[in-house]
Amino acid sequence: MVRPTEFKIAHRATDAGVTLKITGELDLSTGPVLAGSVEGLPHDLKALTLDLSELTFMDSTGLRILIELDQRSKRDDWKLILIRPRHETAAAVLKATGADSALPFQDAPKA
Amino acid sequence: MAPNLAEFILDRAYSAVVSMDEDGLVTAWNPSAEAIFGRRREEALGRPVAELIIPERMRAAHREGLRRFLATGEGRVLERRLELQALRADGTEFPVEFTISPLEDEGRWSFHAFVRDVSERVEADRERERLVEELNRALHWSERRFEAIVGSLSDAITIRDQNHRFLYANPAAVAHLGFGSWEELRDTAPDTIMSDFAVSGEDGREISMADIPSVRILRGESAEPLLIRTVHRETHVVHWNLLKSAPLLAEDGEIEATITIIEDVTEQKRAEQRSAFLAQASEILASSLDYEQTLRNVAELAVPEVADWCAVDLVDDDGDRVKVAVAHVNPERLSLAEELRAYEPERLDPNQGLGYVFRTGDSLLYPEIPPEMLVAAAVDEHHMELIRAVGLHSALVVPMRIGARTLGAVTLVTSESRRSLDAFDLQLAEQVAARAAVAIENSRLYSQRSSIARTLQQSLLPEQLPEIPDFELASVYLPAMQGSLVGGDFYDVWSVGESWMAIIGDVTGKGVEAAALTALVRYTMRTAAEFLASPAELLAQVDATLKHRSALSVCTALCLRLDGDRATIAVGGHPLPLYITGDGVTKLGEHGPLLGAFTEAVWEDTTVELAPGSTLVAYTDGITDAVDEERRRFGIDRLQDALRDVAGRTAVEVAECLTGALAAFQTGSHADDTAAIVLHRPVPAAAPVSGGGRESHDDRLAGVRHGQTD
Repeated sequence: MVRPTEFKIAHRATDAGVTLKITGELDLSTGPVLAGSVEGLPHDLKALTLDLSELTFMDSTGLRILIELDQRSKRDDWKLILIRPRHETAAAVLKATGADSALPFQDAPKA
Repeated sequence: MAPNLAEFILDRAYSAVVSMDEDGLVTAWNPSAEAIFGRRREEALGRPVAELIIPERMRAAHREGLRRFLATGEGRVLERRLELQALRADGTEFPVEFTISPLEDEGRWSFHAFVRDVSERVEADRERERLVEELNRALHWSERRFEAIVGSLSDAITIRDQNHRFLYANPAAVAHLGFGSWEELRDTAPDTIMSDFAVSGEDGREISMADIPSVRILRGESAEPLLIRTVHRETHVVHWNLLKSAPLLAEDGEIEATITIIEDVTEQKRAEQRSAFLAQASEILASSLDYEQTLRNVAELAVPEVADWCAVDLVDDDGDRVKVAVAHVNPERLSLAEELRAYEPERLDPNQGLGYVFRTGDSLLYPEIPPEMLVAAAVDEHHMELIRAVGLHSALVVPMRIGARTLGAVTLVTSESRRSLDAFDLQLAEQVAARAAVAIENSRLYSQRSSIARTLQQSLLPEQLPEIPDFELASVYLPAMQGSLVGGDFYDVWSVGESWMAIIGDVTGKGVEAAALTALVRYTMRTAAEFLASPAELLAQVDATLKHRSALSVCTALCLRLDGDRATIAVGGHPLPLYITGDGVTKLGEHGPLLGAFTEAVWEDTTVELAPGSTLVAYTDGITDAVDEERRRFGIDRLQDALRDVAGRTAVEVAECLTGALAAFQTGSHADDTAAIVLHRPVPAAAPVSGGGRESHDDRLAGVRHGQTD
């Protein structure tokens, strides 16, 4: 039996902007769900925080979404904040691909 | 009384004393009289009182009164305290209080008036009246100001007494509670008001009067704001309200009343629900390429969230409808809905309903379906009965459109809930339909495209690996399973002069674009390698080329240049290669950024000598990301373990060991492409490689290629 990926996107909107908290594995099967959520963000978005602190795994599909968001935020002039994964597997991918330093990452608050 | 004593008293009396005889002439005029009437005693004595101190309009009455008294003995003004206007010497009038006492002496009457100026008292009275009036005005004003502020708020505000009766409700509250006027609300029993609504909390639990914050406050409990959903029992209008209450305390600290602010958060709540609904719908639509199934799932998601039933129809190539899905809030009535749909013709009237939406690609919204429309739509008696039985109340039809092409339509209907669909529901349905259209289009195109892409991608791999002197070369390529998103792993090995180049990489993206990108990366590498010796510079070149493309084009790559036994490696966003010797398995090189992704990126070359008997394995993350049946990842540790014992083995054996370990670990087929290159430097004195020059036919070892020709 295949254990379902416990993938979850929690959406929270305030006056300051939108926060998406992603839990679980971001890969080929869950990437499109995040892409869909991101697509549905308001056009007059001021800031987006993508909280990846509870992300356990990420592959190039997820990475591509982050890069696209970064480019979109610069083009449309809104602020993107990425919260670093606490899990080593996901954090390692970001470091290995240079995303960790090239994208606007911040440390997750101490758990 | 001695005359001089009388004079003494008169001279010092605070009151003015004026006496007159039967002829009305002044006979006494004391100093106080001089003061208040402004006339000296000498001027007054002997002159008619009427001329001196009585305003002209009252003189006739004075003379008549005097005459009557002398004739009849009746005096209306005598011996009474009176208040009238008096005249000063300068002609001004002022209020006086006085008494007049008659006195008979030897048959003749004299009259004595004791007069006080009451201007000040009257003025004070007037001032008091004015103050009272002003105070009233101020009170009225503050009431009006309260009303102006609170009354104009769009939030409903109520004040209730200890028995929950309304003491105050602003117009917003009156309207919100469904009343025409404040008086009507005031005269309605509190529990009657609540009984007009079905009230539930956020979790769907029923809310009773006892849960309402104002009631809890009166019970002495703390009252957190409460979010409630109200459905009016007659109109079926749904509202979300946030109730916030605070106590109003009397001077003794007792709770006298409660004030409640009812914030209408219906719009926010619906927006929240909409985004949750859209996220769920997107997830369902992205979950599978079987669009008929995903559309059925979306239809079920819409019920009862948005409507009582939901139907999805597609348009076939001839413009006719193909029924795909129908979901009903009440499964028992699903057959009724199906039966009703059976009445609808395959070829629709292009001017109304579904046919209109198919033809024009415009949405239709019927907040309330007029009965005559239903009658007109009925084909026969039985059809009419069915329509009545279903009890259609409100409906909307939205197209599933890609550009100008309409692929189908989503129909939402409310019946038993009697809820009227509105512009908000229409917008939501349009968004879901737009996503559904993309999902349908994707899955339709996918089956054709994926085979094209698969062919293209594989055609980009070298048919045969070249032979590198003093080295063995083998490769692994396991394509992603059919029906999943196509990955884009690639590798290439070629010679540049005396040197050898090897690359392995993974383009992100899918289908034909991924194949095109792979081709671009490979040919850029091959061309640039002619004039750039450094793998790091090659990666920079590919990075620049990718960034020139309009669409985001990123890829991972590992580039290796082999000069004799020296290997120079640069890595861009790719797993580091593993170096296997008798001493164990280690990683080589430095991590560098992904190609095509970041504005400022630098790569570094690492040069190592490949010792005799050593093996270098470069692989894509399809290996480490592979999952087993418990969704564990294969991971770098398992990979290193698998390769620990292969030191000194041939390239093909190492490749077979890799695919074997992976096959034993993962169940089913690969979600992603998996590729690896194995470069082995045999010990020069070693015997000819066994197994070399033969393609493996073992299924578990499928995908292993090698670089030695037969």
